[in-house]
Amino acid sequence: MFLGLDNAGKTTLMHVLRDDKVAVHAPTQHPTTEEVVIGKVRFRVSDLGGHRAARELWASYYTSVDAIIFMVDAADRERFPEVKKELDQLLADEALADVPFLIFGNKIDLQEAAPEDELRHALGLIHLTTGKGTTTTKDIRPIEIFMCSVGRKMGISEGFEWLNNNLSI
Amino acid sequence: MDFSQLEDIDGCRWSWLVWPWSRLDATRCVVPFGCMYTPLRQLPQMPPLLPYEPVTCRGASCQAVLNPYCRIDVRSKIWVCPFCMQRNALPAHYADISETNLPAELIPNFTTVEYALPRQPAPPPVFLFVLDTCLREDELAVAKEYIVKSLALLPPEAYVGLITFGQNVHVHVLADAECSRAYVLKGEKEYTTQRISELLSLGFAGGRGVATSTGMSAGGAPNKPTETSTAYGAARFLQPLSESEFILTSLLENTKPDPWPVPAQERARRATCTALSIAVGLLENSHANFGARIELLVGGPCTVEPGKVAGLKLDDILRSHNDIEKEQAPYVKKALAAYEAIAARAVNAGHTIDIWACALDQVGLYEMKSCVDRTAGMFVLAESFNHPMFKRSFEMFFARDENDHLMLHSQASLDVLTSREMKVAGCIGPVASLNKASQYVSQELEIGIGGTSAWRLCSIDPATTLGVYFEIVNNHNTPMPEGQYRYVQFITKYQHSSGQYRERVSTLAGRWADGSSLADIGSGFDQEAAAVLMARMAVYKTENEEAFDILRWLDRMLIRLCARFADYQKDEPESFNLSANFSLYPQFMFNLRRSQFLQVFNSSPDETAYYRSYLNRENTLNGLLMIQPTVMSYTLGAPPVPVLLDITSVKKDAILILDTFFFIIVFCGSTIAQWRKAGYHNDPNHENFRNLLQAPQDDAAAVLDERFPYARYIEADEGGSQARFLLAKLNPSVNHHSANGGYGAGESFVFTDDVSLGVFMEHLKKLAVASQ
Repeated sequence: MFLGLDNAGKTTLMHVLRDDKVAVHAPTQHPTTEEVVIGKVRFRVSDLGGHRAARELWASYYTSVDAIIFMVDAADRERFPEVKKELDQLLADEALADVPFLIFGNKIDLQEAAPEDELRHALGLIHLTTGKGTTTTKDIRPIEIFMCSVGRKMGISEGFEWLNNNLSI
Repeated sequence: MDFSQLEDIDGCRWSWLVWPWSRLDATRCVVPFGCMYTPLRQLPQMPPLLPYEPVTCRGASCQAVLNPYCRIDVRSKIWVCPFCMQRNALPAHYADISETNLPAELIPNFTTVEYALPRQPAPPPVFLFVLDTCLREDELAVAKEYIVKSLALLPPEAYVGLITFGQNVHVHVLADAECSRAYVLKGEKEYTTQRISELLSLGFAGGRGVATSTGMSAGGAPNKPTETSTAYGAARFLQPLSESEFILTSLLENTKPDPWPVPAQERARRATCTALSIAVGLLENSHANFGARIELLVGGPCTVEPGKVAGLKLDDILRSHNDIEKEQAPYVKKALAAYEAIAARAVNAGHTIDIWACALDQVGLYEMKSCVDRTAGMFVLAESFNHPMFKRSFEMFFARDENDHLMLHSQASLDVLTSREMKVAGCIGPVASLNKASQYVSQELEIGIGGTSAWRLCSIDPATTLGVYFEIVNNHNTPMPEGQYRYVQFITKYQHSSGQYRERVSTLAGRWADGSSLADIGSGFDQEAAAVLMARMAVYKTENEEAFDILRWLDRMLIRLCARFADYQKDEPESFNLSANFSLYPQFMFNLRRSQFLQVFNSSPDETAYYRSYLNRENTLNGLLMIQPTVMSYTLGAPPVPVLLDITSVKKDAILILDTFFFIIVFCGSTIAQWRKAGYHNDPNHENFRNLLQAPQDDAAAVLDERFPYARYIEADEGGSQARFLLAKLNPSVNHHSANGGYGAGESFVFTDDVSLGVFMEHLKKLAVASQ
C-alpha cells in the first residue's frame, strides 16, 4: 500500500510500475488499486490520496496489508515534521505491527533534495531502520529508507528488491 | 460562421450544416451528421408561449407540427407538410389567416415555438428525500441541516417525503402530527412494486404494513399497526410541504445515526439499493406519469444485497477499474443488474433519481449510474457533506427562474422527425428509449441509444443537451433536385414545474450539397459541436469496448477526416494545411484522448461515472470545456488574456486560471507567490499587485456562482502540491527530456513521457498525407 503526504509521488510511482511511464497526475481523490509486478512478485497495490482529509481513510485500508510503501518528498523540507508525525502514527499502529515499511525518499533529482542521512534524521529513524542487507531479522519489523527519483526511474528497484527479501509471504 | 449564434435561434449546433446528398459521400465525411440540441434553451427571439394545442399533420404516422417551412395556401386554407408532403386543411379557427396575419408558429423567424397546452395542470412535483443514516454524527447533522434548508427553497405546494435507511429502511409517515411513525422494511430483501404497495398499504385493498414508532424501530419488535384514518394510501408518506414542514423538520431533527453497531474493521450495513427500490415503489404506486424526484443522500457503499458493491469486511476493498476490467469484482454484475432494474421502473413511471454522494471513498456510483443517467438525474460527488461542493450544489439545485418556478421540469419526451432522405441513428444523453420504431429510424446505423425516434427524459432543465445523430440514406444514383431542403423537427413534450403541460417544437431546415464540393461542405463544419458529438460517442463506446480500441478509433477517424478535408500534396507532410473551420479539431481530439473520460488511471470507477455523466448532459461549450479546459493569464499592467493550454503559458510573473468545468484552479507563478508570501499586497504602495491578486479570484468566484455542480476550487503556487491540478492538464510541449534535462533554470517543463501536441500533429500530418 502506498502512503505518504500529497505530492510525495505515490501515483507517479504506481504509473511507472504499471506502464513504465512518467506523467503528471492530478492529486488523487478516491483510492485506486492496480496490479503491478515488482521483481517476480505480483502485488495488488492501493494508492491513497495524501491530502489531509484523505488521510482519515488510511486506517480503513490497513487490515490485510502486506507492506507499506511510504513516500516522502525529500525536496520539501518544510513538511518533514508533518511527514514524521504521519509516519510515527503508522509505526505505532498495532494493526501494522508486523508489516514491513519501505520508505522512499523521492525526488533526489532535485538539487535541494535532502540526502539520506538528513532524511533519516528528520524522520527520527536513526536507530529504527533494520539494514539494507538481504538477510531478514527474525521478530523485528523491517524498516528501511531508500532514496530514489521516480521521475528519473532511479533507485526504485533497489527498494523493491529489499522489500521482496523482507516480505513474509 | 458563428455557430454559437445559430444556437441562439433553435438551441441547436450541428457537426455539419451543409450535407452531401448521397449516402456514399456522407460516409466519406467521417464525422457523423448530428447535432447538440438543448430542447429548453432560453432563446432570445422565441415568441411568448402559445396558449393552444399545436396543429399536426394528418399524414399516416406523420404527426409533424405546423411550422414556418410548411407551404400555406391562405386562400384555400391548405398546408403541405414538408416531411410527408401530405396536404392538410387548416382548422376552422385559422380561417382569418392571410400573408400579413399569420399565427406565431408560421412566422419565418419563429422556427422554435412553445405551446402551453390547455389542459388540467399536473399535480405539484414530489421531492422524496432518501437519507443514509450510516454516517458519522457530524456528517449526518449537515445532511439533515441541508434537507431542512431545501424545504425553504421548495414551493410550498410541492409534495415531500422522507425515507431514512441504514441496515433497514424506514418510510416515515408525515400525515400524523400526533406521533411519529415509520414503516420499517428489511434492508436485505428484494421487493417488487406490488409487494411495496402491500407492505406500505398504499392501495385501499392493500395488505398489512408493519408500523412501529420510530424511537424503537431499529431493534425492537414490530408493533401491530394502529388502524387510524391515516392507515392507507401514499398520502401518509407524501404530503404538501405547506402542511408537513413542521413534522418533517422534527422528524429530521430526531433522525439519529443508524444504531446497529459496526464492528472494528467492518463497514456499516447500508441498504442503499433497497431504500432506492422502496422509494421508487412508493412513487410508482402513487405518482406514475407525474413529476417526482428522489434525492438520495449517501455517505458510503451499499453493503447489503441486492445492490451490494462492497463486502462488510474492510479488507474486501472497493473494486477498481483494474478489477472490473479483469472481472475480479465479484459484486459488480449483480449490483449493476439490481440498479438497472430500479432505473427501468423509475423510467417507466417517469421519475428521476438524483444522487448526492459525499464520502472520501467510493459509494458505488459506478453501479448506480443507470439510476441517474437513464432517469436524467444528477450526480454530485464531494468528499464530505461539509464540503462546499455538496452545500453550494444542493442550494443551487432548487433555484427558481424569473417567474419563481423551479427550473427542474419533468416527464419529458423528445420526438424526432426527418425528411425522407435522412434517418435518425440514435441519441446520446440522459435519456431512455421509448422504442418508437417509426419510419424515421435508421435500419443500418445505430449511434448511442438507437432503434427509436423518440426518447424519454424523466427530467429536463434549460441546460439539458442531447446529442442526436442522423444517417443520410439517399441513393448515390438519385440526385437531389435543386432547391430541395432537408428538415428535422424536434418535438419536446413535458410537464413544467408549475404543473402546466407544454410542448416545444423546433423545426430546422438545412441545405444539401454535392458530395464533391468539399469546400462547400467544409464551410459548414462546426468543429466544437463535432468534437463534443465525437466525445459522447467515444464515452458511449466505453460501455462495451476496450479503451485502447476507442483511442485507435478516434485516431483513425481524425486521420481520415484530415485526409479528406485538409489541403496537402500527397506524401508531403510539410504541405499539410487545415482551414480555420478544422484547425482546432485535432487539438480537441488530442485533449479528448488525454482526458479523464478515456484515461482512467488515477480515477476510481465512481469518479469516471461521474465525469462521463456530465459530458452526456451539458451543452457544446461546457462539453468542450471538459475536453479542453480554458486558461486565462493575468499579469501586472495588462488586461487578462486567454492563453494556450500549454506549459509555456506558465510564467513566473503571471497568475493563471484553469477552468475544467469540474474544478477551477487559480495558479500563481513563482515570483507572484514570493511577493504574496512577502506580503507586498498589504503594502499601500503596491495597490496594483493587490488588484492583480484579487482579479482572478473575483473572476473565478463569478464562474463558480454559475456552475452546477459547484466546482472544486483550488489555489496553488508554482512548484506546490496543488499545482498538479494544472500541470496534469497542460500540453507538455517542454518535458524533462527536452528542457535541458530539466536541470536548467528558468524554463517551465512537465515531468512526463506523455506525447505533446506537437508530436501528435507531426504524426497526424504524416499519416493524413500518406497515399492510401
